[in-house]
Amino acid sequence: MGSQDHETSNGFEFCKNYKGLHVLKLHDQIKELQTILRDKNTSRSDFKFYADRLIRLVIEDSLNQLPFTNCDVITPTGATYDGLKYKSGNCGVSIVRSGEAMEQGLRDCCRSIRIGKILVESDLDTHEAKVVYARFPEDISQRHVLLMYPIMSTGNTVSKAVNVLKEHGVKEECIVLSNLFCTPQAVQTVLDLYPKMKISTSEVHPVAPNHFGQKYFGTD
Amino acid sequence: MAAKINIIDPPSSASSDSDIGETNADFSEVFPDIEAEEEKSGDFYHTPASPITVPYCPRPPSTGSQKSPRSRRQRTTSLNQQTTKPVTDSIIRTQHRTIYTAGRPPWYNSVGQKVEPFVIGICGGSASGKTTVAEKIIESLGVPWVTLLSMDSFYKVLNEKQHNIADRNEYNFDHPDAFDFDLLITTLQRLKEGRKVEVPIYNFLTHARESKTKTMYGANVIIFEGILTFHNSKVNEMLDMKIFVDADPDVRLARRLRRDISQRGRDLDGVLKQYTSMVQPSFNHYILPLMSHADIIVPRGGENEVAIQLIVQHVQTQLQLRGLKLREELAQAYTVNKQFKMPRPDTVRLLPTTPQIRGLHTFIRNKDTPRDEFIFYSKRLIRLVIEYTLSLMSFVDRTIETPQGLHYHGKKMATSKLCGVSILRAGETMEQAVCDVCKDIRIGKILIQTNLQTGEPELYYLRLPKDIKDYKVILMDATVATGAAAMMAIRVLLDHDVLESNILIVSLLMAESGVQSIAYAFPEVQIVTTAIDPEINDKFYVLPGIGNFGDRYFGTEPSSENEL
Repeated sequence: MGSQDHETSNGFEFCKNYKGLHVLKLHDQIKELQTILRDKNTSRSDFKFYADRLIRLVIEDSLNQLPFTNCDVITPTGATYDGLKYKSGNCGVSIVRSGEAMEQGLRDCCRSIRIGKILVESDLDTHEAKVVYARFPEDISQRHVLLMYPIMSTGNTVSKAVNVLKEHGVKEECIVLSNLFCTPQAVQTVLDLYPKMKISTSEVHPVAPNHFGQKYFGTD
Repeated sequence: MAAKINIIDPPSSASSDSDIGETNADFSEVFPDIEAEEEKSGDFYHTPASPITVPYCPRPPSTGSQKSPRSRRQRTTSLNQQTTKPVTDSIIRTQHRTIYTAGRPPWYNSVGQKVEPFVIGICGGSASGKTTVAEKIIESLGVPWVTLLSMDSFYKVLNEKQHNIADRNEYNFDHPDAFDFDLLITTLQRLKEGRKVEVPIYNFLTHARESKTKTMYGANVIIFEGILTFHNSKVNEMLDMKIFVDADPDVRLARRLRRDISQRGRDLDGVLKQYTSMVQPSFNHYILPLMSHADIIVPRGGENEVAIQLIVQHVQTQLQLRGLKLREELAQAYTVNKQFKMPRPDTVRLLPTTPQIRGLHTFIRNKDTPRDEFIFYSKRLIRLVIEYTLSLMSFVDRTIETPQGLHYHGKKMATSKLCGVSILRAGETMEQAVCDVCKDIRIGKILIQTNLQTGEPELYYLRLPKDIKDYKVILMDATVATGAAAMMAIRVLLDHDVLESNILIVSLLMAESGVQSIAYAFPEVQIVTTAIDPEINDKFYVLPGIGNFGDRYFGTEPSSENEL
């Protein structure tokens, strides 16, 4: 493992190579959250607490990728504020199980957003990822999709999920992946396959904290 | 909350008994280390909303004026109605003391520097009527914020031998050696600097200081009274006005006899013995010569209306000379600054304006946004600004081991001593977000309201964690217009010995002028906000702004918004 600076620059290098990759602006506060989540001595309650905080930040940041239009409003003081308005017609899709950890974060930002689900399981023999279950809003093909999956180490699961979304008519450029930790290989796999989609993550690091789902849901 | 023009009704002010009961309940959980007992007893010295911070200590039979506080207050009630003018409706009287419910006006100028309070020293023999004179001055002054410090709080702790002597009525409490002048000088000095002080509570039964202390604050006027007020030259230097209350020795003895016998149940011989052997000689030897230091000698004590009116007029003139028009001055200072195109100070931390932030602003600034949406979106924005604030803290490196068995070079916040302080009411809306991101964080509160007549902010209520000086403080207010309320809150924190560099003022929206004023007055305070608007209107609202944030959030806006 290289030094921290090296790891960080890894992430930025990737940003340059892949236009679709967006890494949350790293500051020490986010680094602290990541440190706590990676620490094996973190208690479950702390883990969940800090995971939820990081999720909220990633979700808020991912929403920046969604389309908006300009919108002027009148303030109570009678002045005009030159604001903007998000376009309606977005939806969330979580990849079962760990992606569901991010649903609450999305709900906290968008109260009535529709959320679809995909269950991807790896075949025990072939280790090939297979979509077992998928349930989406009817008009998903017309929508922008915020795909939620916190840990991406190979990118296979996400690739399958994106594939399913495309099969349902979602345009590639309308898919934004919300992610906490991913590896460079995963970014490579996904963005090489689907160059027009976007990834919003908090860290690109050679080692992904694969214990996330287990610890978050307490099944370890 | 600089943008607020609401004012609380006097009956519901922070000083009413029921209110204190409630706040006690609220805070016993948050601040378990604050003596709850003290609050239940109905003492609110530590709340600055009670401007007369008189330590309530039972006096010994052997010292000065001994009227029970109760009878004294009742007497002033009747006098007050004749003498005072419009102040009366802002006074609440309880069993033990008078409470002025009006808030504390600014005690510092537009660059955040404190204006020296006017310190009045009152000296005089035992039972000469010092306290009566002090009270009459306070009432006639009509200054809402006065601190009354009594020399009785500074009696020395007695050892066992002295204690026995005192029990036999042979300890001389009227001698200068009976007082702890060092502590007295430090306390008075700090009060004069406007800082918080812990005044000892002297227990006259044990002749020791109680473990608890009374918290007092500096004020616009400080009155220091006692039998040997002018004895120490250092104390004399701190006094802006020295009053000697003179009363006929016969009158004083008569008062003392009546008090000690009828109210303290003591026998005539004992009282007379003490008087002739100690009180009277001490008076002649130590107290009477102090008259030469006095600026004014008031014969006949509290009955001397003419003398008191003269004193009051002088103090009022002095206060006017030092007086302030803070908000106006702030606004003017900005106009001057604007001409010179002041660069934005580097202590300002503006959240990066992402589409997300602008989108949220669009919702909360729109006058037609219904309240549930207003609350929802402002909460989201608050969460973001609080997360951003935390990222401004200092961090240290920390290497941990991951479950994968690898080392990870991470970070850890350098301090665990973090607390939130909200400026009521609008700042309160931000408390939840702070609690959501910091486990078990302590939250203090400061209530500042704008006086409708003067347009100035006034401090009404204050509860802070006890050891706040060791904390990094996240000071929260939803909007900052002129910065007057924020500056008052910062000043309060500084008076509690919080380091200036440990304060972060966090808000959703600030006006350029408020930012400039705060940054100029407190260059080390970090200013965190999500948007800075260019202007303030003549009602001190930010333009384009979000209107009255507190009213919109809590749903208390007046029926016609335009009347704001």
